[in-house]
Amino acid sequence: MTRLPVLSLITWAPFVGALLIMFTARHRPRAVRLIAAVTTGLSTVLSVWVYAAYDREAAGFQFYEKLALVPPLGISYELGVDGMSLLMVLLTSVIIFAGVFASWTVAVRSQEFYALLLALVTGVYGVFVSLDLFVLFLFYELAVLPMYLLIGIWGSTGEVRPRGIFAWAYRETGVGTKEYAAMKLTLYLLFGSAFILVGVFALYFSAGSASFSFLDLEAAAFPPAVQRWVFLAFYVGFGILAGIWPLHTWSPDGHASAPTAVSMLHAGVLMKLGAYGVVRVGLGLLPDGAAELAWLVGTIGCVNVVYGALSAMAQTDLKYVIAYSSVSHMGLVMLGAATLTEAGLNGSVFQMFAHGIMTGLFFALVGLVYEKAHSREIRRMGGFGRVMPGVATAFTVASLSSLGLPATAGFVAELLTFMGAWRSDHVWWLFPAVAGTFLTAVYVLRVAKQIFWGPPSPHFHHLEDARGPEWVALVILTAVLVLFGMVPGLALALVDTATVPLLSRIVGP
Amino acid sequence: MPPDLLRAGSLEIGLGLVLLAVFVLNLCARGADRRWLALVATAGVGAVGVLSLLVPPVPPAPGAMFVLDGLAIFAKRLFLCATFVGLLAGLSQPAATGRRAGEYHVLLLASLLGMFVLASARDLILLFVAFELMSIPLYVLAGFAKREATAVEAALKFFLVGSVSSAVMAYGLSFVYGAAGSTDLGRVARAFAAGDPLLLLGLLAAFAGFAFKIAAFPFHMWVPDTYEAASTPFVAWLSVAPKAAGFVAIFRVYFEGVGDAARLWIPVAAGLATLTIVAGNLMALPQQNTKRLLAYSGIAHIGYMLVGVAAASPMGTAMVLFYLVAYVFGNMGAFLVVEALARAEGSEATAAFRGLAQRSPLLALAMLLFLLSLGGIPFVAGFWAKLYVFWAAAAAGLYWLVLLGAVLTVVALFYYLLVARRMYIEPPERSGRVPLPGTLALAILLCAVGVVVLGVYPKPVVMAALRVAAPLF
Repeated sequence: MTRLPVLSLITWAPFVGALLIMFTARHRPRAVRLIAAVTTGLSTVLSVWVYAAYDREAAGFQFYEKLALVPPLGISYELGVDGMSLLMVLLTSVIIFAGVFASWTVAVRSQEFYALLLALVTGVYGVFVSLDLFVLFLFYELAVLPMYLLIGIWGSTGEVRPRGIFAWAYRETGVGTKEYAAMKLTLYLLFGSAFILVGVFALYFSAGSASFSFLDLEAAAFPPAVQRWVFLAFYVGFGILAGIWPLHTWSPDGHASAPTAVSMLHAGVLMKLGAYGVVRVGLGLLPDGAAELAWLVGTIGCVNVVYGALSAMAQTDLKYVIAYSSVSHMGLVMLGAATLTEAGLNGSVFQMFAHGIMTGLFFALVGLVYEKAHSREIRRMGGFGRVMPGVATAFTVASLSSLGLPATAGFVAELLTFMGAWRSDHVWWLFPAVAGTFLTAVYVLRVAKQIFWGPPSPHFHHLEDARGPEWVALVILTAVLVLFGMVPGLALALVDTATVPLLSRIVGP
Repeated sequence: MPPDLLRAGSLEIGLGLVLLAVFVLNLCARGADRRWLALVATAGVGAVGVLSLLVPPVPPAPGAMFVLDGLAIFAKRLFLCATFVGLLAGLSQPAATGRRAGEYHVLLLASLLGMFVLASARDLILLFVAFELMSIPLYVLAGFAKREATAVEAALKFFLVGSVSSAVMAYGLSFVYGAAGSTDLGRVARAFAAGDPLLLLGLLAAFAGFAFKIAAFPFHMWVPDTYEAASTPFVAWLSVAPKAAGFVAIFRVYFEGVGDAARLWIPVAAGLATLTIVAGNLMALPQQNTKRLLAYSGIAHIGYMLVGVAAASPMGTAMVLFYLVAYVFGNMGAFLVVEALARAEGSEATAAFRGLAQRSPLLALAMLLFLLSLGGIPFVAGFWAKLYVFWAAAAAGLYWLVLLGAVLTVVALFYYLLVARRMYIEPPERSGRVPLPGTLALAILLCAVGVVVLGVYPKPVVMAALRVAAPLF
């Protein structure tokens, strides 16, 4: 086989970039950024190419690569993408490419920052393209761990000090500081990985085929009792990463404290990694377990939607607002998947993409605002639209997508999810879902008005609009958000090829 | 001496010669600087290490008291490896190179000899004698700094708990002898497979002795105090080598040749593993002294190894052996970094690690590697070790134990990451590099290389472990 291993190139290019940065670019900040931009750019170009070259008629897993690692145990390096994972790879590429530009101004220990960021991205790509559950687990760990140092060293601590009983908690644990957030995030996600590990082992041993390959496990029929508890294990394990209530509390803390590019990547892509895991491994390998426990997944999704939105309304710290909105939107993702209908599942996958881009844009903007104003406190800011019109426009577009205005990607995703809920066995899910959208409009518009369109704040002078490389991130993300909102078929045609066969295994053709 | 025994005992003879040489040279030594004596001991252990790579396994004669099978060779290489690193690190330490250097090394080598014989013993009496030969020098070494009250207290505690558990073990073994009618372990195994309740009772009582040596909960009380008070290079060695010996002895007595009856030990080992993992990890949380932290985390690691024992299968046994190899490098490395810092800063508190990444980036990186390995993070040795014992346990159907173990690794990561945070996130209190003696640096480097190589390419050691564990069952 002489075909180019495209998926491996996409996955490992950032890692090579990380190594190059560590070993060749010491004390040369420009070279560091250049290497990061080139390697992630390469991944982006290749993912767009894969997106164009994917055969939509044939569907299934394409660009297949396999290399036996430990043959007696059935571990192999097996890669492939279908419509769903392809969209996620595309999302990752867009976000990291934009993220490299969004963190152009990181000054402290920038060499290590970029190296860790790129290593992390390799882990994320790896999870999306792996077809071997064992290798998937390794990539998952790689995607989680650099986060500790990234947040702990380069993160920011909110200036809003807790009061009342929370002040006590702050003194005791340091809740809200970046060190606290980094530790909490890492521990939560590794706690989840414990469940994933047990689930993977259970599948491996009960299939009895001595293989971790997704394709082999798909062919095996697991007994209903095994399906139930293993699905639950995967739901908890991957669900923690997707921010399911009540295990979501790492996410607001983590995202609010992380440096810009890491927030973008984490809220934009890593949370999707959890949802993707539930859909791919949970729904894909354990159809009976999924059908049996869909009520649980959907109900908790509803709680997420409403609880996340209400929490976002109460925040006074700009980054926390965006972080809680992620919790709310991830609820919609899980809800869409739990409807077990074509529209709902398509909506769910589309929401992963749309929310990824949107929240990436949000965090890039918040990062810009923070960098220029050195504040995250909403009440002190105001009237920024006059001095930074570019940032204000992009923020408004992201807000409108967030509340699901037609012609933005958010609208398509939410509409499909609602249609799915309407057709599912649990019509009542529709009410919390729609209520969540309404609440989103309330908090998002309020924030946009206060910061950008209200009267100018007396606290800030000499603010500037985005400059140079910072524009790259904003333009790319805004353009993608509008493009996929106008022409949802770009993604949906692709997603459909993956979700229809998956659903037919759960509810029958 | 019959040629067979000569061949099987070649490593013991070699080590015995090194021991005698150090002893005699010590008699001739004059003056306070006896560093050369330490060098002789280190070189001798290195030479025996080379010899251990050359000796082939000797097929055991039926009913032999002393065997040199694959397991024994694997274990002896492991002991030698740990001892070499420990002695190397001790070369820069006043206690091990001063006026009492001879005593220190003779005692350490004698204990090593005990481990050697223990790994080969196929007879209850030989096993017990080897066990005592290994343990008694350890008590002395723990109190080597005899003018320090804490060291004396630690040694006394170690000695008291140790002799009580030895007594219980001897009592249990007397039951075993009474029920099996023989001290030969092969016959004991056959009697056990036939299902003799008295024998079961005896073996259970004897387990107390082993559990003390490997420091499983609730026989762990001596560990933190002893580790805190004794000299760090010795503790680094104490935390790995005798425990490895304890596990090998457990395999010999409880698994070798008993066949399916080994499954009887699953509940015992699984229960002990649960207790030890939970207790070790939780008690490590509040520790402010790095050595105490590593002591409690070490107890938790013993729990993870017991998970492999609980699998009661060739794979489980092999994976415990692999775990021990990974643990030797990870744990010794971590202790040695503590030693380097303690010498420079005069403090063993975790606060001494503040800002280390900005002062000595390489030393901090090494410590990070060790911590990640102990925490079980991919691409360093400890990850595969944990993964493989979990794998073996899952294959035996113990999913609940796997989940419990995996969830408690998260607790472990909390305290490991706190040290990482001090090194990488917090600002340094002082500036300037941490001075590092050459031999200590070399020992740390060896450990770091071991951790990384085993993390990236664990296959040869895993295969070797699987090969030596297979004949036991």
